[in-house]
Amino acid sequence: MDLLTNLDIGFQAALSLHNLTFCFIGVLVGTAIGMLPGLGPLATIAMLLPLTYALEPVSGLIMIAGIYYGAQYGGSTTAILVNLPGESSSVVSCLDGHQMARKGRAGAALAIAALGSFFAGTVATLLIAAFSPVLAEVAFLFGPVEYFAMMVLGLTAATLLAHGSFIKGVAMVLTGLILGLVGADVNSGTYRFTFGSFSLTEGIEFVAVAMGLFAFTDIVANIRSNQARDVASPSLRNLMMSAKEFRQAVFPVIRGTAIGSMLGLLPGGGAMISSFASYAVEKRVSRHPEEFGQGAVAGLAGPEAANNAGAQTSFIPMLTLGIPSNGVMALMIGALMVHNIAPGPFVMVSNPEVFWGLIASMWIGNAMLVVLNLPLIPLWVRLIQVQYWVLFPIILVVCCVGLFSINNNVVPIYFAAGFTVLGCLFWRMRAEAAPLLLGFILGPLMEEHFRRSLLLSRGDLSIFWHSPLSVAMLSIAAAMCLVILLPQIRKGRKAAFEEEA
Amino acid sequence: MFSKSSGRADLEAGLFFTGFGVLTAALSLQYPLGTIAMMGPGMFPFMLGTILAILGLVMLLSGLSGMGEESRSLPLVPTLLISLSILAFAVLLVRVGLAAAIVAQVFIALWASEHFSWKRAVALSLGLLAFCYVVFVYFLGISVPLLAV
Repeated sequence: MDLLTNLDIGFQAALSLHNLTFCFIGVLVGTAIGMLPGLGPLATIAMLLPLTYALEPVSGLIMIAGIYYGAQYGGSTTAILVNLPGESSSVVSCLDGHQMARKGRAGAALAIAALGSFFAGTVATLLIAAFSPVLAEVAFLFGPVEYFAMMVLGLTAATLLAHGSFIKGVAMVLTGLILGLVGADVNSGTYRFTFGSFSLTEGIEFVAVAMGLFAFTDIVANIRSNQARDVASPSLRNLMMSAKEFRQAVFPVIRGTAIGSMLGLLPGGGAMISSFASYAVEKRVSRHPEEFGQGAVAGLAGPEAANNAGAQTSFIPMLTLGIPSNGVMALMIGALMVHNIAPGPFVMVSNPEVFWGLIASMWIGNAMLVVLNLPLIPLWVRLIQVQYWVLFPIILVVCCVGLFSINNNVVPIYFAAGFTVLGCLFWRMRAEAAPLLLGFILGPLMEEHFRRSLLLSRGDLSIFWHSPLSVAMLSIAAAMCLVILLPQIRKGRKAAFEEEA
Repeated sequence: MFSKSSGRADLEAGLFFTGFGVLTAALSLQYPLGTIAMMGPGMFPFMLGTILAILGLVMLLSGLSGMGEESRSLPLVPTLLISLSILAFAVLLVRVGLAAAIVAQVFIALWASEHFSWKRAVALSLGLLAFCYVVFVYFLGISVPLLAV
């Protein structure tokens, strides 16, 4: 009963008063930012990252994880109540959730969303606990060749599934990889791209990159947008769902959980794709597809379960392989590295309390969210009415003080200012910034494994074709590139033909 | 749906990535490249820079042919003011202290929005000053002087 012993270690770590407090703060903050449009989980986690440096690693990670899945809950609450997706993953919940609210079933809709998410969270937590050790066993067999191939696959898939143009995503990954190489070279000790500056010898501060590209760029992008929102607070007298609604929700929740758990595992997957996929599936299997968009219970329950399950299982590749599948996971890896924990299969052995504590805290956090969310809804509704001009100076100041607190040094603040300008340029060019962050985290690692592989093979590039695992991963990556590029080439040709005609 | 856009976004992105790639590749030449088997510190960045430059050129071409995406219009004044407010914070923090840094940042940043008023800026500055002092200095014990002399 290895699983039980492990979970026992986890619950002991997670149930300490200290960690429970941080779990609570995490889900509370997460719910709040999930509600506020224009403030996403990436920006918030970047903002709070310096604060976690002072904490124990497990407490810091528990808090960050809480923010991440708390945001899923918060996002769906605003989606249902005011038809405003606080998070991109809750866009789908607007469709049927808000229709239910307009029919006077707001309470029932919120209850379905919360309980469906809780069910999905429980299943996903068990999945993580059961499968992570297995996956880690596989990861122990990996040599540098397989690691390099896996990073190529991970980065390709993450770029592919992120929105925006594929080629720009790849360019952003490469830019991130290059920026990640700044500082001392591990093998030779040479200082690269430091331009003689001492503050660059340890590389560019990761938090400065994340804040500049996400928190500060978001401010510039949102500052002029019209923030007028009329919040019609629906009556919440009836939180109970009827027996009929319960029956209608059961199977969509189970299907949504299954879809979300699988899609969350994929690099680049996670909450958003899961919810869209689940909505499509529910509509297809439903006997009354015409009800979708008119307040169908299945159209809310499925995606809600799916986005929570996806958010949770996306932790698996990060925890077992050390490969971030999305921007939030990249930030988690950054947080681990600050505490000198190298992410990968070794974490489970070297820091079992961190690994299992985090997993146990996810289940506790999900339970907290159900208890916390339903009674606090009136408070949350008032929070949505906060004006953006109050919000953004707070974000700016808290971020800047946080940046200073990393090393008691203002240099990271200067870098954050630079990356703000860069982030704004990327925003203008429609280049997504998340792939850059993934590249930035993986840059030094990728170089190391690449160099080590070729050292082993004495410069023979065919080493990447000799390991069956590496061949499989590289061919999947290549196939994915082809699939995305082919239609574009065809479309380009078609456009060319049309022009001739 | 298939109306021809000017492809400004791809044009700009192409220029940027080509430039950045060429710059990286050129800068990595100052470090030993080594051989494929024994790579020096310059090899990997040189490869990355080269690939990036090629991708940039592809984007540039698609932008020039007008098939690329339309760029978003970047609000220039807020971009500059927000960046400036961050710089002002950094400069003032070590020279004058936290109080001045926060006030300057709030005023400059709020100036960027359409909702600027003196009353709001003063209220926000005072509130944030109290908040930062309590949370960062008192609870987390960060050594940042309220007023550096």
